[in-house]
Amino acid sequence: MQMRKKTNIWIVVTAAAVIVEVWALYVLGASAARWRPAMIVAEEPAARALYEAMIEAAHQARTLSYRSFCSGPGSGPSAYSVQLKKPNLVRVEMTNGMSTKVTTVVGDGDRLRVFWSGDRPFLKVDDFERNESTQSNVYVDMAGSPAGVADEMARLGVAWSDLVWSPSVFFNGADEFEPHIDGIRLRGTNEASGEECDVIEVSYFKAQRTRHYWLSRKDHLPRRVKEIVRLADTNRVIAEEWARVEVNAAISDERFAWSPPEGFRAWEPPELEDFLLKPGSDAPDFELPSISGDAIRLSDLRDEVVWLCLWQVGSPECREQMRYLQSLHGKTKDKGLAILGVNVADDRRIAQTFVRDEAISFPCVLDSSEGAARLFAEGYGMKSSEGPVNFVIGRDGKIVDAWYGQDSNRAPAALQAAGGQDVDR
Amino acid sequence: MRAYELIRETYFRRSYIWIAHLSWLAVYGVFWWSFVPAKTETMGKFILIGSGLFLALTLSAGILGDDIASGRICVLVTKPFWTGKLYLFRWIGLSLQAAVHLLLTGVLLGVLDLLTPKNSIEGLGVWLLATWLLFNAVAALSTSLSVVLGRAFNSLLLLVVFVAGYLLMNALMVLLRGEAGAGWLTAFVRYAWPPFELLRKFAGGEYGPHALTVGRFSLSHSVACVVHSLVLTCVYGAVGILLLCRRQFSRVRE
Repeated sequence: MQMRKKTNIWIVVTAAAVIVEVWALYVLGASAARWRPAMIVAEEPAARALYEAMIEAAHQARTLSYRSFCSGPGSGPSAYSVQLKKPNLVRVEMTNGMSTKVTTVVGDGDRLRVFWSGDRPFLKVDDFERNESTQSNVYVDMAGSPAGVADEMARLGVAWSDLVWSPSVFFNGADEFEPHIDGIRLRGTNEASGEECDVIEVSYFKAQRTRHYWLSRKDHLPRRVKEIVRLADTNRVIAEEWARVEVNAAISDERFAWSPPEGFRAWEPPELEDFLLKPGSDAPDFELPSISGDAIRLSDLRDEVVWLCLWQVGSPECREQMRYLQSLHGKTKDKGLAILGVNVADDRRIAQTFVRDEAISFPCVLDSSEGAARLFAEGYGMKSSEGPVNFVIGRDGKIVDAWYGQDSNRAPAALQAAGGQDVDR
Repeated sequence: MRAYELIRETYFRRSYIWIAHLSWLAVYGVFWWSFVPAKTETMGKFILIGSGLFLALTLSAGILGDDIASGRICVLVTKPFWTGKLYLFRWIGLSLQAAVHLLLTGVLLGVLDLLTPKNSIEGLGVWLLATWLLFNAVAALSTSLSVVLGRAFNSLLLLVVFVAGYLLMNALMVLLRGEAGAGWLTAFVRYAWPPFELLRKFAGGEYGPHALTVGRFSLSHSVACVVHSLVLTCVYGAVGILLLCRRQFSRVRE
């Protein structure tokens, strides 16, 4: 009897432990790396008001300067000193990690100039030969608006971690992702940079991207920003810490003027497009899984003109391009034009949700493996996955044209050259 | 009475135990004083790695293996004493030892914080809790290994397996990135091994409301970390007790 009672107690204790452990594994298993619909934030008016106050405060300011320390995944921190002045002046000085070398970007409206203290670092668009021959006494003078300075810096790859809070909020009074906000909610109060802040959480693209803003109660501007981008195998988290925030302080126009010292020459970095497969070269064949799990082989489409478009959910341009391609697909299917979407970046559920919501009916590859990434990086020459990357492939399997972004002129010309359809954007 | 004796014995089992405790306390102090960690997390990680894992291995070296090898276990385990209690009280002894050690660590860091107000000890309590939980899990695993491995080989093996295993698993996860097996491998490392990664995240505030990491803003996540750690400790312990109870001991030295 005693023995039986003991056994029963042990059974109950074991069962309770198993239940508790199953619950713990369930909670831990639903890790932050895994996107779930529950991550999509519901709108809270009070939080929206704080968000709009941030946009308004930035937009109303005549000048804004701050120091920002960004830390991103797998890299050291980047430090920025940002000075912005209306209507169109910008100066950003940045250093990476422990380096004392400073990269400076100054902009005065139409042009952005980038220069370095000492030799320039190895950039995204570099190879060893190019870097060696253009390392010293160079600067970059390129077309670009102050609002887009963060994008240009990211394109060149001059900083380890990108600025999350874009200067476009200051110049244009708009967050570039604002049309894609799912909702904003309050996350209580917290101290950042020694100031009491309201914390809000903003989710974009059905929580493919989430940002947390620590907004100072004093001036409604951020003191800390955290961005989580949910990708296939990982989350890219960037944290940006603001210090020495000054609004409407006097900044001399001279801070935004720069002329190259004697002996310096302008260096024109190659365009990303220069690295893409050239017209006439063979498009590397592949067999990769589709979004629905079937295999897609490029060579199976050999008797059709193929428009291959690499896209990702978190890019507004890609989303727009996918919508355009869907409308084109409706008009041209069974007329010799095959549209093939390729996604090598996104989480399966996030990509599936987008495809379902947008009723995309043309086939899409979804493969985040190293092999697929290598194929498009090395085989197709993709240096960047920002924005859509397009390849028009002729019936002979050769590249007709390749370009980044949405280009309303190139697509019709390329398709016509490939012997495909006449299309209008 | 025997329980008390067994627990007390873990404190005085070997002379180097006190040296280990004092050395670690000295290391914390030197680390705090000289390296001036920039963030609490850095300090906490250091404590977690330092004492949660290595102190557990040091203190539990040969915890049962010495007695089995010397035949002393036959003296300790006499009827009506349940063999499993030997394991249990030894482990409790280790756990209490760690608790005292971590309390002293807290006091030491608190005093250093008062003397050198150049850093924050915010969140130190959570770090110490996480460290204690990790210590308990590693100590349980080490004690269980001690049942089947003679002398201090339990700690040595665990150390080698821990370091080599972690390197190997990480390399495999990189190689298998995107493959079906990677998920299982990650799950194995995360949930079957001592919960090093989970507790580091828990202590680092990753599951806290204003974390600068992925952060899920979830109290349940933090509770789940603690629960999983405790359950894992129980599982390691249960295996050890089972092995101990099934063994036949000889009075002859092995």
